Amino acid sequence: MENIHHKQSFWSKYIFSTDHKTIGTQYMIMGMIMAGVGGYLAYVFRYNLAFPGKSIPFYGMLGPQAYNAFVTIHGMIMVFWVGMPVLLSAFGNYLIPLMIGSDDMAFPTVNMLSFWIFAVSALVLLASFFVPGGAFGGGWTMYPPFSAQGYVNLNPNFFQALFSGTSLLILAVALELVAMLMGGINFLVTTINKRAKGMTAWRIPIIIWFINIAAVIFMFSVGPLVAGAFMLLFDNILGTGFYDPHRGGDPMLWEHLFWFFGHPEVYVLLLPSLGVLAEILPVFSRKPLFAYKTIIYLALASAFLSVLVWAHHQFVAGIDPRMATFFSIGTILISIPFAGIFLAFMATLWGGSIRMKVPMLWAIGFIGLFLVGGLTGLFLGSNTFDIYAHDTYFVVAHFHYTLFPDIFFGFFAAFYYWFPKFSGKELNASLGKLHFWLTFIFFNGVFFLLFFNGLAGQHRRINDYSSFSLISKEPYQTFEQIATVCAIGLMLTQFIFLYNFISSLRKTKKAVKNPWEATTLEWVADSPPPHGNFNPYPEVYRGAYDYSLPDVEDDFTPQNIPKV
Amino acid sequence: MTIFPENVSTYGQDIDNLFWLILVFASIAFVISLFVLLYPLIKYSSKKVKRAEYITGEKRKHFKWITIALLLLLGSDFVILYVEHDTWGTIESVPAKADVHVGIIARQWNWIFVYPGPDGVLGTSDDVYVDEMNSSLHVPVNENIVFELRSQDVIHSFFLANARLKQDALPGRTVMRWFNITKPGKYDISCTQICGILHSKMRNYVLAETLEQYKQFTDSLYNANKPAVSINK
Amino acid sequence: METKQHHLTIPVIKIPQGRLAMWVLIAGELVIFGGLICFYLLNRIRYPHWGEMAAHTNTFIGALNTVVLLLSSYTIVRAHQAAIKLNAAKARLWMTCTLLGGVMFLVDKSIEYAHEISEGFTFTSPKLVAAGDHVGSLFWSYYYIMTGLHGAHVLAGMTAIFIVMMQIRKGNNLHRVELVGMYWHMVDLIWIFLFPLLYIAK
Repeated sequence: MENIHHKQSFWSKYIFSTDHKTIGTQYMIMGMIMAGVGGYLAYVFRYNLAFPGKSIPFYGMLGPQAYNAFVTIHGMIMVFWVGMPVLLSAFGNYLIPLMIGSDDMAFPTVNMLSFWIFAVSALVLLASFFVPGGAFGGGWTMYPPFSAQGYVNLNPNFFQALFSGTSLLILAVALELVAMLMGGINFLVTTINKRAKGMTAWRIPIIIWFINIAAVIFMFSVGPLVAGAFMLLFDNILGTGFYDPHRGGDPMLWEHLFWFFGHPEVYVLLLPSLGVLAEILPVFSRKPLFAYKTIIYLALASAFLSVLVWAHHQFVAGIDPRMATFFSIGTILISIPFAGIFLAFMATLWGGSIRMKVPMLWAIGFIGLFLVGGLTGLFLGSNTFDIYAHDTYFVVAHFHYTLFPDIFFGFFAAFYYWFPKFSGKELNASLGKLHFWLTFIFFNGVFFLLFFNGLAGQHRRINDYSSFSLISKEPYQTFEQIATVCAIGLMLTQFIFLYNFISSLRKTKKAVKNPWEATTLEWVADSPPPHGNFNPYPEVYRGAYDYSLPDVEDDFTPQNIPKV
Repeated sequence: MTIFPENVSTYGQDIDNLFWLILVFASIAFVISLFVLLYPLIKYSSKKVKRAEYITGEKRKHFKWITIALLLLLGSDFVILYVEHDTWGTIESVPAKADVHVGIIARQWNWIFVYPGPDGVLGTSDDVYVDEMNSSLHVPVNENIVFELRSQDVIHSFFLANARLKQDALPGRTVMRWFNITKPGKYDISCTQICGILHSKMRNYVLAETLEQYKQFTDSLYNANKPAVSINK
Repeated sequence: METKQHHLTIPVIKIPQGRLAMWVLIAGELVIFGGLICFYLLNRIRYPHWGEMAAHTNTFIGALNTVVLLLSSYTIVRAHQAAIKLNAAKARLWMTCTLLGGVMFLVDKSIEYAHEISEGFTFTSPKLVAAGDHVGSLFWSYYYIMTGLHGAHVLAGMTAIFIVMMQIRKGNNLHRVELVGMYWHMVDLIWIFLFPLLYIAK
């Protein structure tokens, strides 16, 4: 059974490609560019926090409106235009067909369209900076009535309201969600229908399971937000009163449907990276993944629980205190299945033969940092303590200790791991180690001290703390400066990665097909895999983690090796 | 450097104690987890161990460690939930003995304080609205201050760090909360929900004073504000 | 164009790809409309006044549209049956009937909207707002967004049916008739929920 290689023009090969690998790469590059934008925004406001009132190099003077806009769009970008495209779209697109032994996604054209809709959404988002009034500055959470004032403020010019920062942001998010929904359908149908012969459900690698569970969570939880986003848009451009209490509407409705999506969304972002860990840890321990089936059941339990805990973001919002108790219980208990998954990951290491290569460094670093993030979640899940900690830098530090390892350490672990497959070249390991250690140290330098600022009562989204006596004294101002210096260091460190990436692509030395000696199917394909991926298509005879089988000499047995 | 700002409220200590309790659990979990994560990297390094063991984790004797850890976590979760519950009920419901009623109205970009007037009842025609930048809400110490929190425009949030109290102010609803300050002083009020361009400038205070000082203040305030100010929402 | 790998893969759940994708799409759409319907219900319970507002919807046209959609679901089922028998011409005939049903639905809707707009019940209902009836105006905002979004889906479904009609002219791609049929049933199903909420419960 041969591939049908057909002649492709430049446009159909690189720009409007329907090949999942190209589309995955496009998502990754777009995500990296947006990470640069989001990082720049963070640099500007962090500089302002450390040295208030000073002109910021490579920006200028930062006024309060711009400050609010920058913190808002920084958050929006990192969740929707970096986390989602890189962890879900790039990983999913690139890995699913390769790891299930298929030629491509089920719907390649829809796949291609989804990327271009995503690209347009990014443009709409960036355009929002340049319209009159500038980008929206009310937090990535976009709470009305503040976010619904477009009509009131620009009444009654429809086009002014439509091309305002607020409306453009809503449109950008809507387009991005549509792109992700299209991708999600593709992932699910491909994984269910296009697996190689012999790949039963319990032989599917964890990352594929997790990406699909994430897609299901996403599609279920985003529905009410899509409806609600239309309503917010119409409040802005047409003057409806869905969220206006003077018109019978209710701002609390938005809070509920935003967080009904927003909380599962963080697990949508987390699961693919956990999947990356699940692939890397066995390879570099030469040992099967510990409790594979249990991990899947725990992930399903977490997915189910994740849609029941959203109002822990609203403990002080004025919800019924009894409802808050319910959500506090759920939030604190959801730590159990996730702890179970992490414990199983760590158990994989015990009794192994550990190779501390660069992907493993990132994986271990991920777990260590995520532990801090996850455990600080316990503080916030307690409704009583959250009364104090809500909207302080304690929260900011908490979610950076979860999201940054998730998005960045997860991405880098995956990148260093799969780079030989996707490019056919090898990355420089020494630069990789330097990149890891500097990122790790600088990241902690930015965010660890901010826990203390938060506990001291420093509230969020403030551009100037000079009138708040609790914060504007030492050592908190010094902590701000340390955080900013480390943030700059963190960003500059990424140039090491970029240099490594680009210079490695230009090397002539080719990587071997399976440099890490892994068992999953993508390592059977050539490096890089051609259009159609496999020739011939593999057949699967065993699970994904057959390392160090007792009666086999090799310490790994790929999935496509028959049982004797 | 102290971790928390000074606590001057009756229920604030409970919140601080809850923090330390969770910190104990979290720290123990963190140290144990770091050990479980990092120790094998040394003990089972490929330089020392040439061949890994074939452990799938399906066997009970291997899995039991995870079960034990999860049960311990579950136990600490229940302790946290039990300890927090009482304090949550205390803060979120208004005490039976309400000594002073005030109104707090948030607007872009200042906190408005509503004093109940000589009749001591909010919502009547002798209420006095004080809407000045950087003003202080005068309250007597050691009294239960019950306040009605509202917003005129967008969502704001009332944060009194020294009392460990925070409550969002939503337009279209009135939320009642309370505090009881135990020590005279001037304490920061911050707005903890981004509300626009001057969100950073919403800066007011609670001024807790002795009962005599408080009466002096309200007397002069009410005298200066006869006849009644019309109620504007 | 793409490598046809179907003969090499064994779907464990024996649902063909298009159908599976359509189920997933339908599930996503149902959550969106489900959300809207929940918000409507919450407000409806909160504001008894909405019952008075709902009295101004035209139950006759609403019922007529319900019958029209149900009939058009029947015709698309017949189209699917014809497609199974590989009779493209007959399938196209039945699909035309479905399109006519869609057209009638939209025409009825336009008449209905025109009447309601002339009475001052618009998306933002400025007349009601000016008269101080804010809560009433909110009812109409929900009415228009729910029926409007549904109407947009009717139009999208009609477009898809038309496109598939063109694609099956030569007898190819007949499996797509079932797919647009499924989508059309979803549109019908959503209406079955909207109708009692907006037209009957007064």
